[in-house]
Amino acid sequence: MNRFKFIVAGFLFTLFTSFVGLVLIPILTLGNQTPLIDPETGEQIPPPLTALEQRGKEIYISNGCMYCHSQQVRPERVGTDIERGWGKRRTIAADYMNDGRALLGTMRTGPDLATIGVRMPSESWHLIHLYNPRSTSPGSNMPPFPFLFKKQKITGEKSSDALTLGGDFTPEDGYEIIPTPDVKALVAYLQSLKFGHYDVKGAQRAVIESKAEIRKK
Amino acid sequence: MSEIDIEKSRQERLEIDRAATKPVGMFIGTSLVWLLLGSFLAIGASIKLHNPEFLAEANWLTFGRVRPAHLNTVAYGWLSTAGIGIGLWILSRLCRVPITDYTSLTLAAVFWNLGNAVGTWGILRGDGTSIEWLEYPPYAAPLLIISFAFVMLSAISLVRRRPPGHIYVSQWYILAAFFWFPLMYVTSQALFFWNPIQAPAQGAVNWWYAHNTLGLWFTPIALGAIYYLIPKVIGRPIHSYYLSMIGFWSLAFFYAWAGMHHLIGGPYPAWLISASVVASVMMFVPVITVAINQHTTMKGSFSALRWSPTLRFVVFGGVSYTLASLQGSLMAIRSLNYLTHFTHYTIAHAHLGAYSFASMVFFGAIYYMMPRLLEREWPSAWLIKGHFWFCSIGFIIYFVSLTWGGYLQGIELNTKDTPFLEIVKLTIPFLKSRSWAGSLMTLGHLFFAVNFVWMLARKRSASTTATLLGKQGPLTNP
Amino acid sequence: MLYAAIIVLIVMGFGAVGAVAAFFWAAKNQQFEDVEEGSHTIFGPDEPIGEATDSFPGRAPGKQK
Repeated sequence: MNRFKFIVAGFLFTLFTSFVGLVLIPILTLGNQTPLIDPETGEQIPPPLTALEQRGKEIYISNGCMYCHSQQVRPERVGTDIERGWGKRRTIAADYMNDGRALLGTMRTGPDLATIGVRMPSESWHLIHLYNPRSTSPGSNMPPFPFLFKKQKITGEKSSDALTLGGDFTPEDGYEIIPTPDVKALVAYLQSLKFGHYDVKGAQRAVIESKAEIRKK
Repeated sequence: MSEIDIEKSRQERLEIDRAATKPVGMFIGTSLVWLLLGSFLAIGASIKLHNPEFLAEANWLTFGRVRPAHLNTVAYGWLSTAGIGIGLWILSRLCRVPITDYTSLTLAAVFWNLGNAVGTWGILRGDGTSIEWLEYPPYAAPLLIISFAFVMLSAISLVRRRPPGHIYVSQWYILAAFFWFPLMYVTSQALFFWNPIQAPAQGAVNWWYAHNTLGLWFTPIALGAIYYLIPKVIGRPIHSYYLSMIGFWSLAFFYAWAGMHHLIGGPYPAWLISASVVASVMMFVPVITVAINQHTTMKGSFSALRWSPTLRFVVFGGVSYTLASLQGSLMAIRSLNYLTHFTHYTIAHAHLGAYSFASMVFFGAIYYMMPRLLEREWPSAWLIKGHFWFCSIGFIIYFVSLTWGGYLQGIELNTKDTPFLEIVKLTIPFLKSRSWAGSLMTLGHLFFAVNFVWMLARKRSASTTATLLGKQGPLTNP
Repeated sequence: MLYAAIIVLIVMGFGAVGAVAAFFWAAKNQQFEDVEEGSHTIFGPDEPIGEATDSFPGRAPGKQK
């Protein structure tokens, strides 16, 4: 082939078709969703993150938690996500509507976290686990996050925030481990993770039904 | 063929190589720095997965930052930078015109390296985006974009100045890569950062970009290099030129549609995933045409692997391309994907493509190019052999470790009664093996870097064994 | 979702038809005549077909020793 212009036009066209199919149409169909209201509670679902949870998400992103943890529940007969209790149902696009930066993840070096806020709501467990994962989970290969905590000398009474650690993980005498505001925000974010937990399908049906009602009138 | 014709053609080739020395040399030289940095980041990340307390005190060295820093430095610091240099040189050779925009390419090299430095520093300090393959914080992107604009202009200038006549397949591949990459990069930056799209659509954009960076940026440059270097080294033309055109167009069409196979099982509509699964399987077409072409061209010349350093790397890479792509097509089929998704198996596959294919081909290309750019030989054959053997054997161990370990991991993940911590435990020996393998590969890279620096430091020597620079001997007069 | 699937199929269909049409145009316009010659363009009088152009340092091209 001798005509460069045709070749250039050709390969730009192939890229363009994939852009239309894999980018543009998903944006128009999946990326254009309007917030849903739970028909029972009247609240927006999924609920948007509070300021504290948003800050926690920034810590999650900053420290790359996504590189070991996914946030998606696959359907039944696809792996064992639901059988392991990682979610009641598969997660769908509407579950992530208010998610901001999607953190679906592609590795499960650690467990999926889509519904960790339902499965493990305990703040103290998360704090201890983040300080050093092996203190709650022997054999875990998750990194410790000591830099999200402060080791301080006990002056007078122990702080109410101090972590209760055991065995090899206790600090030396006279010292305690205090969570920083950042790690508390991170835990608040983890506690908010309940993808697939809300009845978004019910809310979508309610929207369709109310639109039908309006048309009837 | 008269002596005059031979001399004229030689002078023309020399002029082209000399014009390329500094601009291309800058990209190749700096790419090696990133190769080393990326390799050390890789070893750090690998050790942390079986030894999580390793260097865990500092926040900038936490696994979740070191791992994306590794990916981005090898993707944009090593592979892309080397790819720019190799692509420009092959274009210059095939268009038969010298590179003339030395100033703008110098700027491009500075900006490209600065962008990578700023980006890597940004990830380590905590500004990483957690968007796979786009982890450089947004403030690094403008540097890369401006740089690449200069690179594109240079490539277009070469193509426009070429004399009329046939366009060789490598020119299509490389020119296409130089258009595809910036279009995808700028589009992704816009959709993620300048005018962010809603979360449910982000995965589609993410994997359209990331998968296409592999298939429409690294792959075409590497294929262009293979199509040029194999025939040049052995002195025989490509066996079926016709097949190579089919290969190009089927790659252009099918690869671009394949990206959604990274999202199988995820919150996406079935038609989106299925389109990509079909395209992924159709990738058999370009991959088999390339494999047939490479094999039939090489047939009868396999002994060349003994005397040609370039060919060792390039053929190793070419075979890896076939294997990686066939494996990839199979992994896109849902039933296999349900087993391998989310496991270390995927990581092994990714490195079969980005390392065993793209990096090894680029190593081969650099071994061919540098003597022609610098008009002197590589100082040490032993360092070259060491580079090849440490990297090839190291990689084979890497691939076997993570494929086997990932497969077992996948089986247990799909066994609901296996506690998660048991799964972690079973992967540890494979992860340790990967750290050893990665160390061997890094050693190979060090051999490469030492040989490179030694070559730069050497003065142009009047060697009596006329090897790479023409039968009459190395040139003493420009 | 159904509309989206239909649109994508149409776009892919156009792409496929275009590709096939381009192929026939190229064949008709004898783009494939000089095909095998095209593979020769990378060679030249100073690096002709039949001669190797690479070697380990210190060796002649095409030779191990």
